Amino acid sequence: MRSFARTRVVGAALVVLALIATACGSGDDSTEGPTIKVGSTNFGEQEILGEIYATVLEANGYSVERMFQLGTREVVNPALKSGEIDMLAEYTGTLLTFEGGTSSTDSEQTWDDLNAVLEGLGLAALDYSPAQDKNGIVVAGEIADELDLEKVSDLAAYNGELVFGGPPECPNREFCLIGLEEVYGLSFAEFKPLDVGGPLTVAALEGGEIDVGLLFTSDGVIAAKGFVLLEDDLNLQPAENIVPVVRQEIIDAYGDDFVDLINEVSEAITTAELQELNKRFGLDAEDADALATEWLTENDFID
Amino acid sequence: MIGFLSDLGSWFVENWDGTGGYLNRLWEHIQVSGASVLFSAGIAVPLGAWLGHTGKGGFAVVSLVNVGRALPSFGIVALALPITIRIADRVPFIDSGLGFFPTFVALVALALPPIFTNTYAGIRAVDPDTIEAARGMGITEPRILREIEVPVASPIILAGIRTSAVQVVATAPLGALVAYGGLGRYIIDGFAIQDNIQIVAGALLVALLSVLTELFFAAVERRVVPRPLRRDVRHPSRPEAGRAVAR
Amino acid sequence: MPILLAQVEDSFFRWDWVFDHLDDIWEKVVEHLVLTGIALGVGLAISLALSIVALRWRRTYAPITWTTGALYTIPSLALFAFFVPITGFTTLTAEIGLVSYTLLILIRNIVAGIDGVDPAIREAALGMGYGRRRLFLEIELPLALPVIIAGLRIAAVTTIGLVTVTALIGQGGVGFFILRGLNRFFSTEIVLGTGLSVLLAVIVDLALLFAERALTPWSRRRRIA
Repeated sequence: MRSFARTRVVGAALVVLALIATACGSGDDSTEGPTIKVGSTNFGEQEILGEIYATVLEANGYSVERMFQLGTREVVNPALKSGEIDMLAEYTGTLLTFEGGTSSTDSEQTWDDLNAVLEGLGLAALDYSPAQDKNGIVVAGEIADELDLEKVSDLAAYNGELVFGGPPECPNREFCLIGLEEVYGLSFAEFKPLDVGGPLTVAALEGGEIDVGLLFTSDGVIAAKGFVLLEDDLNLQPAENIVPVVRQEIIDAYGDDFVDLINEVSEAITTAELQELNKRFGLDAEDADALATEWLTENDFID
Repeated sequence: MIGFLSDLGSWFVENWDGTGGYLNRLWEHIQVSGASVLFSAGIAVPLGAWLGHTGKGGFAVVSLVNVGRALPSFGIVALALPITIRIADRVPFIDSGLGFFPTFVALVALALPPIFTNTYAGIRAVDPDTIEAARGMGITEPRILREIEVPVASPIILAGIRTSAVQVVATAPLGALVAYGGLGRYIIDGFAIQDNIQIVAGALLVALLSVLTELFFAAVERRVVPRPLRRDVRHPSRPEAGRAVAR
Repeated sequence: MPILLAQVEDSFFRWDWVFDHLDDIWEKVVEHLVLTGIALGVGLAISLALSIVALRWRRTYAPITWTTGALYTIPSLALFAFFVPITGFTTLTAEIGLVSYTLLILIRNIVAGIDGVDPAIREAALGMGYGRRRLFLEIELPLALPVIIAGLRIAAVTTIGLVTVTALIGQGGVGFFILRGLNRFFSTEIVLGTGLSVLLAVIVDLALLFAERALTPWSRRRRIA
């Protein structure tokens, strides 16, 4: 009997201590609300952008969960819609087209149209960043010289002869093979499914296994490897401003403070900076979170 | 469900031709699987047979079994890539470090352990009395190995090659991650665009190829293994053969 | 800048990177072991249940092995990829695949192990008044333990290798390093991920071997004799 009573007292004391601890733990800098699940698709820039947003949110007391490198847009977009992830860094033009709209090279217009479409899906695109990342049609330096290539339309002279390499989903994408065929009238001898602007595409370009490859305009690799980015003279690629897409419920839960914070960050990202970060991640093997923290510190978002 | 099956059926009707068609992908898959198994067997069988005959290297065999099974195929395929890229850079007659080469290298690494250990175990299991008798008759060591031990051990050796081959066929889809074609393309590309029809089609084709591989080796066994030793044939000297072979 | 590029690209494995990232590595190792543990636990439970069914009603053994065998031939990547649209990027999706691959080997070994128990012992026990349940739990299962653990070891090693594939659906354990290394020119990560997977497999294999020795003291006596 005596030991039983003792156990109860100890138990009660522990519960009280736990309650005090929790109350103390959630100090002034923590923000109450649902955990924000920040996702990313499967290439380096996505992880870096994801880390930038995730880190700045955490620094401001939000509870964040990272779900990175999940796969392609076809895989991650449904996850955003179903609530498996709450936030994703996207590209205005491609996302708008993906959701059935029509995009243009006008950043503002594309962004407005995007929000109109997203509203019905319970999502919202916050302010877009000046930084853009478009699909880039790239050839190796030697081939550019040899075949005298400067613009994408120059490729039409070699229809049926060249091998094109890109991400496996390229034949399905309007701004990839579909657009190249319809807008530029190009036809390639072969399409090789490789990766999303990663080492396979780069190695294939270097080794000559593909003549033309798909990389991204914010890639650090293009300059580093002496590749030539062909000019998109017929404007196939729309405006592709980086934009954070967030579920409406998160915006409702946190309100203006959240939105303002994210908007400030997006506004500060530039294409040049993104290129540098991408290069350091992809070629120098630096960590996305370290790069994000460094960028945020340099731009005074965190100390 | 019916819709899915009918879509699957249409897929098979429409996608047989061209570089991306399944006839080509099947052929690519068979090419890399066959090449790796043949190459592996070419190394592992002589090596395993010789070590089995001399009785050395038992410890190496045991470790190889454990490590071999522990190798993650995803890791090995990914690891092969930087290696083959470096080799292709320096060796003039290999023009690509992508696609076939890394897939081949990875599959060879995965195929070696089962073939090697089965050959070794099979040779070791040959009745020592038979070997002594042969030695007594003056038959030379290499001849003993070639004409007695290997034929006697052939069911076990072939079983090792067969296990290896089926494993290789099932693992070759990972080659799609290093720019190879083959049936893995349907799985990887299908996943990239969330096309479950493609994924299922790819998986079915791989399963089909595995079954065909098993049947192929059953046929090979019938040809190659001496009749008295075959597991599916009853023979007066081996009454226990031919009973239901538990696979 | 070019010098930096050359350094990173030419060195195949960078120890300094590994030491800088020990926390991340540990986190992924734990994740890997958790995924494996769940798969083996659930796999063992399902396999035991199915084995009991198969032992009791012999006719079901063939269809059970046929189904689990068919599951085994499906390439792992396809199984994981197929379930993502259904069950999402969750541990569940990964586990559906991982558990499926353990079933064939575990059921085969449990049934073989129980079948391998000396019929004389069974007779003796029944003669002594053991009911079927006690017979199974206290005699047959312990005696079958070596064969069952042998199957568990194979299942464990195979599962640890397969967990790396789940990196492609957002899980992965140490497979995460393999995927990231593959997605950007970084062989150190690939070597790290592969090496850790092998290491974990070897350790778990040895641990199970010791567990077997510990759980079956009677076989030790036989070995010494």
